[in-house]
Amino acid sequence: MPNPTPLSNVRIADLTNVIAGPVATRILGHMGAEVVKVELPWGRAIGNISMHGDEGEGRAYNKVGTFNEVNRAKKSMAIDLTHTTGKKLFKEIVSVSDVVIQNYSPRVMGNLGLAYEDLRAVKPDVIMVSMPALGLEGPWSNYISFGPGTDALGGLSSITGYKNGQPHKPGNFYADHNSGFHVATGIMAALFRRYKTGEGQHLEIVLREATMSVIGEYFIEYQFTGKEPKRIGNDHPVFFPHGIFQCKGTDSWIAISVESYQEWQALCEVIGSFELKNDKTLSKVSSRRLNSEKIELEITNWTKRKTNIEAMDLMQSTGIRAGIVAKASDILSDAHVSERNYLDTVYHPDAGEYTSPGLPFKFTQSSTNLGVRAPMFSEHSLPILSDLLAKDISTIESLIEKGTTPLEPIDRVYS
Amino acid sequence: MNLLIISDKDYYTKYLLERLINNVAKSELALSGIKVLDISNGYAGGYCTKVLRDLGADVIKVEIPEIGDICRSFGPFFNNDPNIETSAPHLYLNAGKKSITLDVTNPEAKDVFLKLCTESDILVENFKPGLMSQMGFQYQELSKSNPGLIMCSLTYFGQFGPYSNFEGSDIVSYAMSGYMHLTGDEDKEPMKAGGRQAEYQCGLAGSMSIIAALIARSLSGHGDHIDVSATEALTSTFDGVAYFQTYHKTGSDPTRAGTRLITREPTGAYPSTLLPCKDGWVHVHYSPSNPEGIGFLTRNERLADDEIMSRMREHADEIDDLITEWLRDHTREEVQTLAQEVRVPFTMVQSIEETMSDPQNKHRNFFAPIEHEVVGKMSYPTSPFRLKTAEWEALPAPILGQNNHQVYEKDLKIHASKIAGLKSKGVM
Repeated sequence: MPNPTPLSNVRIADLTNVIAGPVATRILGHMGAEVVKVELPWGRAIGNISMHGDEGEGRAYNKVGTFNEVNRAKKSMAIDLTHTTGKKLFKEIVSVSDVVIQNYSPRVMGNLGLAYEDLRAVKPDVIMVSMPALGLEGPWSNYISFGPGTDALGGLSSITGYKNGQPHKPGNFYADHNSGFHVATGIMAALFRRYKTGEGQHLEIVLREATMSVIGEYFIEYQFTGKEPKRIGNDHPVFFPHGIFQCKGTDSWIAISVESYQEWQALCEVIGSFELKNDKTLSKVSSRRLNSEKIELEITNWTKRKTNIEAMDLMQSTGIRAGIVAKASDILSDAHVSERNYLDTVYHPDAGEYTSPGLPFKFTQSSTNLGVRAPMFSEHSLPILSDLLAKDISTIESLIEKGTTPLEPIDRVYS
Repeated sequence: MNLLIISDKDYYTKYLLERLINNVAKSELALSGIKVLDISNGYAGGYCTKVLRDLGADVIKVEIPEIGDICRSFGPFFNNDPNIETSAPHLYLNAGKKSITLDVTNPEAKDVFLKLCTESDILVENFKPGLMSQMGFQYQELSKSNPGLIMCSLTYFGQFGPYSNFEGSDIVSYAMSGYMHLTGDEDKEPMKAGGRQAEYQCGLAGSMSIIAALIARSLSGHGDHIDVSATEALTSTFDGVAYFQTYHKTGSDPTRAGTRLITREPTGAYPSTLLPCKDGWVHVHYSPSNPEGIGFLTRNERLADDEIMSRMREHADEIDDLITEWLRDHTREEVQTLAQEVRVPFTMVQSIEETMSDPQNKHRNFFAPIEHEVVGKMSYPTSPFRLKTAEWEALPAPILGQNNHQVYEKDLKIHASKIAGLKSKGVM
């Protein structure tokens, strides 16, 4: 018998939308929790961002790429929470759940009558998770921001950028994933505590605070120097050479970082530059920096004649820290990635087969729940209503008919 | 309790007072009583056990005598004076942990180390794959006397696979994760994000998996050996849609798009980018629940025009120009305030200094004063986890070996003569 998953007896009522929240509950789904994604009646909220939806074909709402990626390993049920019966239904789900998670702006849950106190009344040891962009209280608490906006407000944009260039940002949704992982971590910690004490709690994890936490040393640095840290692109505050170098092929690069004298000597040898190797003045990082143009040119003259994979293999064979700037196709065809069985490829009836990043860690003992696609809209409404909530057929029919639990998205009403 | 009597300027005082008051309700954090033994070096392990400590665990750092964690040798340093007690990353990452010295790579240290493992719930290490086994510390061995032990191994490429013996660094993992190809301007070379994101994600993946393993342990009684690769951890933070799904759909590799989102489907949502204003930069973002908001904010009908609204990403350049026209006359603060008033998610690009002192961070006391015996009082980021059951304790990073006496003599009850022997050999 395979080992159980860590969260095999945990149920999560998931009200989150877009990316950060769904990433958190996806991790919990992979850990074996039963995640009931309570969806908005008008379809995938992320569909409004409509980045990847195929228009025009049947059930386009089931083909939203971002949705399908971040909602793997979950169940779906649409509930209109503005209906009194919808709220009641949601509370019934809460009464048999361990965790309730939402990423609405701070006022919403209270307005819906679903604040922590309301939920605790139906499930005394519930763990409720709020993940606002900037915090549940404070002068900016009602500001709205998506992940990339918190890069900006949290200092990460300010320290990211080319040398002498404008503020920049990590590609796409770094802040969302980073905070999603912090949230999954916090929820599991709260669950662990509940096993010991029997107590639930209201846990708050703020998107921007997760971002500030992964650049924490810069805040201390500022107090030391009184100066803003400079944007340095691929350079390093100490080590040199440190950066990326052009290789044979289109937009093809290799990253190299030299952190010791031995590594510097090995590098000179690999690129066949005995002039650099024998120049004793270059043993110090500071003098290498003074000759940076010459050194970088010598390295590039060598890397340009190699593919980035050839260059990486040659450098690694002599102990140099070097790696290709991987593209999607590189990762999809990489022997290391495949031997480690890292990627998560699933088949979806409407969207077809798709591949996503897998889990960032591997257990030896516990099982994980990978290879499970995202649910189709309201796919699990009927089993949840009949099996989990024990509703009879006439009640279920009436809920569907009134649009409280639609089985297909209904037209959105903007309020 | 009325806190309004205290001047807003002195938010440190206010913070301390609030802590004092809340002490009444102080019960325990989520991982109270969990013992973590951290023999790792650097940022990844540092952040892994910082998160565990933030959540209430008791973390003992096992450091090389006289040198300490490698983080202690990374600058910048207080007063620009290299000193193992005053490095910024060490002070941040190791705040609130304990420090003992032991050279675990020295065979003489073996029985002390094994004793420490027996007393611990969690062991975090980041030696190159195979090294723990060489020293006789493979998981099977360590778990014999402590079947509940959870061992977490943090490396750049993982414990197995063709690259497992590769040499790594933050930039190398950033490159190989795929993230670098997506970061930077279209017409320039790929770029690394600021800081050490591969190593931080490695640490975070470590703490996330450790807590899952703790839950599994409370059900099964057995521990686990966890394998975390920094490269995979960072790949896990990117948007597979923009990457793998687009590649499968188009047959070509998606590339970086400056500060915009990667996906270039003409009907995709826009804007999401950084644009210049009167006194700096702002992040401008489309609001799905308020699609006409940007046109309304900038009083520009063109921005709410159907032609643009139906094919936003295709009109990205024009949208940037139109918004920039409006931004030019406004400061960052004005932009943020005016936009947020009409529910448009525009935010300021703040410097490090501005971030530390903005009204929201002040209100939430996200930064807290900590007194350290060498660098004095500094303001530190607190914890990203607001557990409502207990307060995060603001404590300084330990002096190297600060807890030797407590741990070795009082807790482990190692004989004084043995300690003296190990000390004389430089093992402790």
